Amino acid sequence: MKNVLVVGGGIGGITAALEIASCGVDVTMLEEGPSIGGRMIQLDKTFPTLDCSTCTLSPKMVEVALQKKINLLSWAKPVAIRKNGKGFTVTILKKSRYVDINKCNACGSCSPGCPVVMKSEFNMGTGPRKAIYIPFPQAIPNKASIDKRTDRPCKAACVDACPIHTNVLGYLKHISEGRFEDAYMLIRETNPFPSSCGRVCYAPCEGVCNRGQLDSPLAIRDLKRSAVDRFDLDTLEPPQVQKTERKVAIIGAGPAGLSCAHDLAMEGHDVTVFETLPEPGGMLRYAIPEYRLPKAELDKEIGYIRRMGVKIECGIEIGKNMDAATLKNDYEAIFVGTGAPQGIRLGVEGEDLSGIMDGLKFLRTVNKGESLERESLSSHSEREGVAQPALLVEGATRAPLIGNKVAVIGGGNTAVDCARTAKRLGSEEVTLIYRRTRQEMPAADEEVEALIHEGVKIEFLATPVRFNGSNGKVSTAECIRMELGEPDASGRRRPIEIKGSEFSVPVDTVITALGQATETDFLNPLGVKLRKNGTVEVDPFTCTTSVEGIFAGGDVTTGPAYVVDAIAAGKKAACFIIKFLKGEALVAESIDAKPEKLSEDEVKALSIWVAKADRIPMPEEEINQRVTNFREVALGYSAGEAMTEARRCLAGQIEGCIQCGECERRCEVRAVDYNMKDEIIDLDVDSIVLAPGFDLYDPTEKREYGYGTLEGVITGIEFERICSVTGPTGGDILLKGETPKRFFFIQCVGSRDRLSGARYCSRVCCMYTAKHASIVKDRIRDAEIYISYIDVRAYGKNYEEFYKSTQENGILYMRGIPGEVVQGKNGLLVRVEDMLSGEMREVEVDLVILATGVRPRKGTEELCNIMSIERDEYGFIKANSVAPSKTNVDGIFVCGMGSGPKDVPDTVASGGEAASRCMEYINQ
Amino acid sequence: MLEQMSTRVLACMQCGKCTGSCPESGKTPFNIRMLVRKKQFAAAIAEELPWYCTSCGACTLRCPRDVKPSEVIIELRSALVEDGLMPLALQKALENTAVQKNPWGKSRGKRGVWADKLDIEIPHVSDTESKRLLFTCCIQAYDPRCMVIPSNVARILNKGGLEFGILGEEEGCCGNEIRRIGEAGLNEELQEENKAIMEEYGVKEIIALSPHCMNAFKKEYGDLGIKVTHYTEIVADMIREGTLTVQAPFEKKVIYHDPCFLGKQNGIFEAPREILRAIDGLTLMEFARSRETSLCCEGGGGRMFFEVETTYERNAEVRVNEAVEKGAEVIATACPFCVMTLEDPATEKGITVKELSEILVEVI
Ligand SMILES: Cc1cc2nc3c(=O)[nH]c(=O)nc-3n(C[C@H](O)[C@H](O)[C@H](O)COP(=O)(O)OP(=O)(O)OC[C@H]3O[C@@H](n4cnc5c(N)ncnc54)[C@H](O)[C@@H]3O)c2cc1C
Ligand code: SF4
Ligand code: SF4
Ligand code: SF4
Ligand code: SF4
Repeated sequence: MKNVLVVGGGIGGITAALEIASCGVDVTMLEEGPSIGGRMIQLDKTFPTLDCSTCTLSPKMVEVALQKKINLLSWAKPVAIRKNGKGFTVTILKKSRYVDINKCNACGSCSPGCPVVMKSEFNMGTGPRKAIYIPFPQAIPNKASIDKRTDRPCKAACVDACPIHTNVLGYLKHISEGRFEDAYMLIRETNPFPSSCGRVCYAPCEGVCNRGQLDSPLAIRDLKRSAVDRFDLDTLEPPQVQKTERKVAIIGAGPAGLSCAHDLAMEGHDVTVFETLPEPGGMLRYAIPEYRLPKAELDKEIGYIRRMGVKIECGIEIGKNMDAATLKNDYEAIFVGTGAPQGIRLGVEGEDLSGIMDGLKFLRTVNKGESLERESLSSHSEREGVAQPALLVEGATRAPLIGNKVAVIGGGNTAVDCARTAKRLGSEEVTLIYRRTRQEMPAADEEVEALIHEGVKIEFLATPVRFNGSNGKVSTAECIRMELGEPDASGRRRPIEIKGSEFSVPVDTVITALGQATETDFLNPLGVKLRKNGTVEVDPFTCTTSVEGIFAGGDVTTGPAYVVDAIAAGKKAACFIIKFLKGEALVAESIDAKPEKLSEDEVKALSIWVAKADRIPMPEEEINQRVTNFREVALGYSAGEAMTEARRCLAGQIEGCIQCGECERRCEVRAVDYNMKDEIIDLDVDSIVLAPGFDLYDPTEKREYGYGTLEGVITGIEFERICSVTGPTGGDILLKGETPKRFFFIQCVGSRDRLSGARYCSRVCCMYTAKHASIVKDRIRDAEIYISYIDVRAYGKNYEEFYKSTQENGILYMRGIPGEVVQGKNGLLVRVEDMLSGEMREVEVDLVILATGVRPRKGTEELCNIMSIERDEYGFIKANSVAPSKTNVDGIFVCGMGSGPKDVPDTVASGGEAASRCMEYINQ
Repeated sequence: MLEQMSTRVLACMQCGKCTGSCPESGKTPFNIRMLVRKKQFAAAIAEELPWYCTSCGACTLRCPRDVKPSEVIIELRSALVEDGLMPLALQKALENTAVQKNPWGKSRGKRGVWADKLDIEIPHVSDTESKRLLFTCCIQAYDPRCMVIPSNVARILNKGGLEFGILGEEEGCCGNEIRRIGEAGLNEELQEENKAIMEEYGVKEIIALSPHCMNAFKKEYGDLGIKVTHYTEIVADMIREGTLTVQAPFEKKVIYHDPCFLGKQNGIFEAPREILRAIDGLTLMEFARSRETSLCCEGGGGRMFFEVETTYERNAEVRVNEAVEKGAEVIATACPFCVMTLEDPATEKGITVKELSEILVEVI
């Protein structure tokens, strides 16, 4: 069986391949890019008939795909060749597209999620594309490719450390390039609480951020907030989803319950959330103080979940106002996310005196605004682009809730929140009493730091042993000093009392914040198995409890943990509830990857090319400003700060795909494969047709025309894309969003010109310029259009006629090519001699279009070198003058622009000629 | 040579690129393409026309067929010079140059006077180790407005620790303008004399103070084996390397005008800008037509020495107007010809023209 290799998938190569295949010969077609179509598919219309280029070419491309005799290899080119009898053995490099061509069904789900925005080659850089892309809708093969150039220089430990695997590197990439809204939407993909997390997440990602091994970790949390600050969630319409009428009950409207509700609602399920407290949000609302998370922010996020159709019924305590068994009957599945809302007693004498209260209750009261009087809260200081945080609950004051001398017992985040809140309520002396040292404090470092700055005193290594009071009210806390002994079960050194070290602290209020416990008695009637400490026993991978149809997650299963852990549990539960409702097996799929560190060598290598830059600190409200009110302390980054900070992400240091995993996550048929390798294929062929096509002259070096420096100076092929319906504007001719009215076309840019090294005529520019002008006239009736030329080459049939009709259409042909294009006051000034009148003109226009000349395609030289093919002085493939498809090598033929400038009809003719000579050769 | 010229002219495809580039065509009766056209047919050319050309070089740089229109002009002028058909003032300038080696006809003996008033001693180039010559332009050597430039530059280079010398009264016109006026013979004489002197003293490097002289030495003296630079390149290097530090601020909005012989013809766009950018407090502004498209000041090609007959808005006025409109306070440039042409309209409009060295001496 004969086999012919066609190199190049433009109209020339397509014509030759189809002709040869129609003779029953096998054809292997190599296209260097992602799709065949060449330059012609980039054209809007073709001269002289002004037919739609895509409409003409697309059927032929489809024919290539359907023709059984043609084996099309995209992203492929020859890299070596050996003579093999009369034929050749060709070595082909097939670059990896990182998408399985057999699986990809061109659904297009992947690209919108990709955070890497690049210039579209198809659109000549006039529009963007993503790192994963299908170059244009009619592409053949119609498959996605990933533009992956290097492996990511970072392990992206952040993503693995994040309980919900937020696409950190993805949203940092967006922010680094100023796309805050895109960043926000990417965060929302996996997190229904970006604002809450952007403020209060404990950010396990930052702890492991690989950049931390170089200088300092990225401000991942603060950057999340910077995206939130620039997006108004109230304007986001929830997606329309098909309702399933399947009912799910959720107990507890904390982050676990609400996240579960959110994801279930996304699937169209009918979700009702039951909440004991008057408003939803759980600890987000009732524990975390306003100055860390403004409630208005939380309201927006919960508001969105409500808008998705989730019903939230507050003031209903399961086990009291409604019993759990009824719930079980009325709903197909239940998720328990009731958290750990109980305080733990200290267990010392005098603990019931008035003036001593539980920390959680204290915070809840302040957050609810109960028994507090209104205090004027001035508006937050203005910072550019930052959303105004809402004011506190109705008012804030000390009386009668809290005294002037407050002792807070404990060392966790709750204790710190209590102490900082007490300070804000106006207490003069706030003392934190903690059994161990600063080192052992479970509270976040930055929180402790803030606490100290705000003037709270800390008594380390001390604990109360008794409270004394008078008239039933606490007056002193008697404490004892501790020292650290052997490590206990938690790994921290056990505090041991030092005999005789008692001292007493005068107090009028004591707040205890020693830990939290669950309240799970209401589950007993359902027979849900509990652990000894009262937490619900679940399978950590599926969130299933001992009772079918009942799922649980968050603090109620783990004891007190963090918001993002609760969100993760809620989402995981949702995922398995969805499966449960479908009747699918509930088995966990993937075990989460562990965050990885960079090796020492990797760190060393990175520090060579990545300039050191420290993290940008989050701007904060001044200390003396903050302790008098509940305004948010963290002010948020400015856009510039956020972009600079985000640019530090190691993943963002590379061009192309950053392997963030978004496309892989979105692809339903699992076609993405980052580990795909380039292939080298050896192929025996009987003959070869070269159709490498052309490139266009880059006019940047003609500084007098201002290409690349003046806005509004573009090239013909760029203009072609701007005019095209498949182009960046959908075919609207726009400059900075407005319709330009004055056009100046300059012919012969980089043709017939010793300076640019091309003394030949490019043959197509005169006619494509006439075409462009006609398109403009057709779309913008009142446009003023000039074409400057040296002489118009409208050879042959239909061309001169086209020239004439273009003129009659009102397009002004001006003999004489401009000397310069410069910026004028109201547009671009083109300085040109209108030679036929001998007048010098300065024409003011909006758009200058340079008809740039044709050049051999980049890579033609390499192609010719491996095949020992001769090229002419300009680098085009040298063709035999009487058999114009013959090259100097027997059995290798050329067609199309590869051998010199040709328009489409000539290219088609040359493709036919090459095919027939090739057939002649292989049949000899 | 002549033969080559005529084939070149015949190759003109009448594209008009030269006219579109020319700062004179259109606004004066001059039309460079038309002259080339006439030359193709050996048709008569009005004798006043060739004198409009400023030898900015734009046409020659951009002509796609390499016709070198500005050289065609020189050829036309040569014929006129031979017949004595030239503006009187130009004739005078040529005579002066023949005698005193400067177009003003000032005494050759006074060529080095600027150095006498200097607070530093500048050696004769032969007494230097480096054989580095600071070459002054005729305008800078004699014109009272421009005489400060060589002293300034000498001070600056001295401050930067660079060794250099001068030729004093042995220095003579470089011939750049003379060639462009069409007096090839005189140009050759000047070149011979300069070459001989440099050879005699073993000059290894020329720092030209004027872009015109730099152009001549670089491109028109044949291979001298001498490194030729414009002083701004040296100063920019000094600042970059830290041998010269800018100490005081210059709190002004400065717009930079690219001289044709420094910029378009010799590609030196960055050095002067680098110097200006290194000065604290200085806001660097740009003309709409800058760098390769800088508008010629009309001082070159002999135009410095005579007035054309027609009245029209001079490019220097166009320049000054734009600078004023843009809110610039100082027009800076790096060529004595530009200083001379820009100064009149600038004074009228109340804006200052400064040669780069005049700003520099204030801040180092
Ligand atoms: C602005 C503009 C407007 C135009 N308008 C018209 C018009 O209206 N009417 C008209 O008739 N003509 C027009 N033309 C001309 C027309 O585009 C060309 O005639 C035609 O595209 C030539 O086809 P081709 O197959 O030779 O080359 P190309 O279209 O360039 O295709 C070559 C293909 O080969 C691939 N390739 C190259 N090297 C290799 C390799 N080593 N291995 C594998 N693959 C390789 C390339 O990726 C490319 O896909 C216009 C041209 C321009 C610039
Ligand atoms: S992994 Fe991320 S960056 Fe790479 S193509 Fe997919 S979505 Fe884009
Ligand atoms: S540098 Fe970027 S990708 Fe790497 S761990 Fe840090 S945030 Fe994640
Ligand atoms: S630019 Fe050159 S080819 Fe064009 S008209 Fe002028 S001289 Fe002739
Ligand atoms: S050198 Fe300048 S002024 Fe003279 S003809 Fe050429 S463009 Fe015009």
